[in-house]
Amino acid sequence: MLLYILRRLVLLVPILLGLTLLLFIVARILPGDPVGLAAGPNATPELIAQMKREFGLDQPLPLQYWNYLTGLVSGDWGMSVFTRRPVFADILEYLPATIELVFASLFIAVVAGIPLGLLTAVYKNGPLDYATRTLALGGIAMPRFFLGLLLQMAFAAWLDILPLSGRYPLIESPPDHVTGLYTIDALIAGDWSAFQIALSHLALPAIAMALSPLATIMRMMRSSTIEVLQQDYVMTERALGLSNRLILFKYVLKNAMTSTLTVIGLYVSWLLGGTVLVETVFDWPGLGLYATQAILTQDFMPVIGVTLVIAIIYLVAMLVVDLLYGVFNPKVRYA
Amino acid sequence: MALLDIKNLNLAMRSYEGETQILHGIDLKIDHGEIWGMVGETGSGKSLTGLSVSRLIASPPGRYLAGSIEFQGRDVLKATDKEMRILRGRHIGMIFQDPTTNLNPAFRIGTQLVDVALHAGHADPSVLGLEAGASRGDFKKAAKRVAVEMLEKVGIPKAAERINDYPHQFSGGMRQRVLIAMAMIGKPDLLIADEPTTALDVSVQAQILRLIHDLVAERNIGVLLITHNLGIVAQICSHVAVMYRGRILEAGKVNDVLKRPSHSYTQALLNSVPTVHTKRGELMGLSGAMRETSA
Amino acid sequence: MTMTPIAIPKRTQSARLENWSRAFYRFRQSWLSIVGLAIVVLLVVIAIFAPWIVPYPEHVVGGTNTAARFQAPSTDAWFGTNALGQDMFSLVLVGSQVSLFSGLAVVFIAIVVGTAVGAIAGYFGGWVDEVLMRITDLLLTIPSLILAMAVAAALGTGVWNMIIAISITWWPAYARLVRGEVIVKKEEQFVVAAHALGANWLRILGKHILPNIVSPIVIKASLDMGFAILTVASLGFVGIGVKPPTPEWGTLLSGARSYMPDYWWTAVAPGIAIFLAVLAFNLLGDGLRDVLDPKARR
Ligand SMILES: Nc1ncnc2c1ncn2[C@@H]1O[C@H](COP(=O)(O)OP(=O)(O)O)[C@@H](O)[C@H]1O
Ligand SMILES: [Mg+2]
Repeated sequence: MLLYILRRLVLLVPILLGLTLLLFIVARILPGDPVGLAAGPNATPELIAQMKREFGLDQPLPLQYWNYLTGLVSGDWGMSVFTRRPVFADILEYLPATIELVFASLFIAVVAGIPLGLLTAVYKNGPLDYATRTLALGGIAMPRFFLGLLLQMAFAAWLDILPLSGRYPLIESPPDHVTGLYTIDALIAGDWSAFQIALSHLALPAIAMALSPLATIMRMMRSSTIEVLQQDYVMTERALGLSNRLILFKYVLKNAMTSTLTVIGLYVSWLLGGTVLVETVFDWPGLGLYATQAILTQDFMPVIGVTLVIAIIYLVAMLVVDLLYGVFNPKVRYA
Repeated sequence: MALLDIKNLNLAMRSYEGETQILHGIDLKIDHGEIWGMVGETGSGKSLTGLSVSRLIASPPGRYLAGSIEFQGRDVLKATDKEMRILRGRHIGMIFQDPTTNLNPAFRIGTQLVDVALHAGHADPSVLGLEAGASRGDFKKAAKRVAVEMLEKVGIPKAAERINDYPHQFSGGMRQRVLIAMAMIGKPDLLIADEPTTALDVSVQAQILRLIHDLVAERNIGVLLITHNLGIVAQICSHVAVMYRGRILEAGKVNDVLKRPSHSYTQALLNSVPTVHTKRGELMGLSGAMRETSA
Repeated sequence: MTMTPIAIPKRTQSARLENWSRAFYRFRQSWLSIVGLAIVVLLVVIAIFAPWIVPYPEHVVGGTNTAARFQAPSTDAWFGTNALGQDMFSLVLVGSQVSLFSGLAVVFIAIVVGTAVGAIAGYFGGWVDEVLMRITDLLLTIPSLILAMAVAAALGTGVWNMIIAISITWWPAYARLVRGEVIVKKEEQFVVAAHALGANWLRILGKHILPNIVSPIVIKASLDMGFAILTVASLGFVGIGVKPPTPEWGTLLSGARSYMPDYWWTAVAPGIAIFLAVLAFNLLGDGLRDVLDPKARR
């Protein structure tokens, strides 16, 4: 088991190497002139040449890649032409906000999607089933950014019960930095009001992101539960008197989870990429907003850095999913 | 009062084509210590009769048109869901055909045995050797102990260790033993076994049958053994009921029915079983008059 | 089991026709697929005839009317007017053109490139397969929206640049799908036979294998159309892609963001348009899957 994890981690290395190379090539082949943009329209050729030297853009490409690669390992992820700060420092600053948002929405999607899927499977073709399935169809088609706008309109503007945007009121200072996730930090600090403030900011963007995975997880869970309910062992469990609750939430749930797990894993990547949209709507200071800004100014290094971080999180998530498979399906052997 | 008394049971099932009556007035009486074999061709309604006793047929698709199923004097068709749950596992044990699909693959066999034992124990603490009002911890400990004992009893070697294994780590015959242990762990008064050996190797079949026979003899319980194998009936049953198209054609002591079949269908069924005395060329399949032409 | 002789009915239609009518019957079974099909047809009709049916054609090409800014929906302007006094109804109608066209183009390019890569990898196997699939896998680990944004931004504004940018991130999924199908089909009798008869690889792939794997591709494509439209709108929303005055739903929505919630109609009209288009293609795709792949039916 431990050996399996180690092997999988080692296998990540060539993937990441390929990824950096690919990203580097894409970034350099594409037209675009970050230095020109950053220096402004009135920059002299001397200034531009000096800036190019400063960012190492005057060297031959293979050398640039080699420098980038050795830098990566030592925590030097290049400089952002736009913010004029090291990319690594920028990412460290923005990452917690994104992690908090992604985990909150994944949490909502899983915690609501799985029981809903189970229940709609049990009460198949009942009113609850039809209502949730219709909502699910809509939920998958709903653009996250439009849903975000609608939520802002309803809860921030009209009902005025939740903040419109941002992560924390600008005039107040967030809870002491431990994990960087404000809700968690507030709990660690035992600051209940800070937790409420952080949560109220988190609610709308998290819901806007959660709807589509919630709908998919629910649909997946529903169909696999229907399949499991027809299995012989469910009949045996009923015939020997186990309660419906025990059968459903213990014996059926675990069997139905396997196929749903794959979907959850795939959504990690979808959610991370989607932060670009939702963070824009809610001015959420995370990687998505950072990446958008970098892309709009054709700033290579932050884009590569953000993509790399997301890819790493995704690959780790897939590893976790593979390990969880073994929990839900004892026939899986790690060899 | 008989242990189980099925009177004039009429059951209809709904499917795509509409509702068809499957059981046409089944009458069957089982007492303690009797092993009833129920034989008949596939689709004659044996399984649905067995499932009816534990009221395991959902409605829809099932609908009882008439009749009663009295278990220990009370009609299960009129019982509440809660009463039914207490009967299942504690008073009526069930074993099904395919041991590969009837154990939950995602859970250790111990987990499944312990949950059934706990259920039976909550219905009647004496099953676990406890007094009413014992603590949760006592229940858990006792259920675990009884599960290991039961596994040993059905012949699983190193039961204390193997209780932590998953179903796929057992062979087919071993899995059926585990399922028998699960059915018997609540000390039921009636065991319903629906073709318990059909899916097993011939060499394993005899062991499993002997196991069932011994357990039943030891506890003096009633058994409904569903099979389509008259050889099995002749070997371990005390009584037999012959089923055909939702009706019981004849029923009685094995010796009476098999020696002096009063119905031509039973006769035909007997002729289709090879015995040591059967001469080459004598074996007959079922055909002709007994079979109606449309399903 | 009772056996009855099975009466073989006389064949009144050709087998192919019968297949189609049975497929259409299955499709009709689900009224949701019919709704999806209806909306898709409506969208296509609107996109084709938009130039002739819009009430204010001048607004569509950039004309403004500042005297009539931010008018609420009325009989004059069904969806109200925006910050420039342009009629939202006209803009949303014409916006269907960019969405449908680029969605279609993305899926088309993705199918062509993906099928070529997947078929070659699956057919030849060995190191060709290794190299092509490693590249495919790498692309699949990159968050596609961010990659598409980066490429689109670098290439500059314009419908075609956006289409190319999105296609780059979409073909790998088709390559995976086609490769899997080709590997299965390659071993089948008729392919082995064609091989033995000396057909060359292009012919075997084109004549014998690919025609047999059309269904999974069509199913995926119809489900993907909705998400392609969504991606186009997403790029528009973050400010990459088509630039005004060409009306595009995502761009319209992002323009409306600053005027929320007072002038909500400027956002609601394009938002609902995106939602309906995506929903319709999803429903249609689900229906097609039921028809073409009854096994996957849930
Ligand atoms: N769930 C069901 N819905 C409709 N008909 C059923 C169902 N289960 C069984 N039947 C029908 O009832 C008849 C008896 O089935 P069963 O009791 O399983 O037969 P046996 O166990 O004797 O082989 C069969 O003809 C079968 O088609
Ligand atoms: Mg049966």
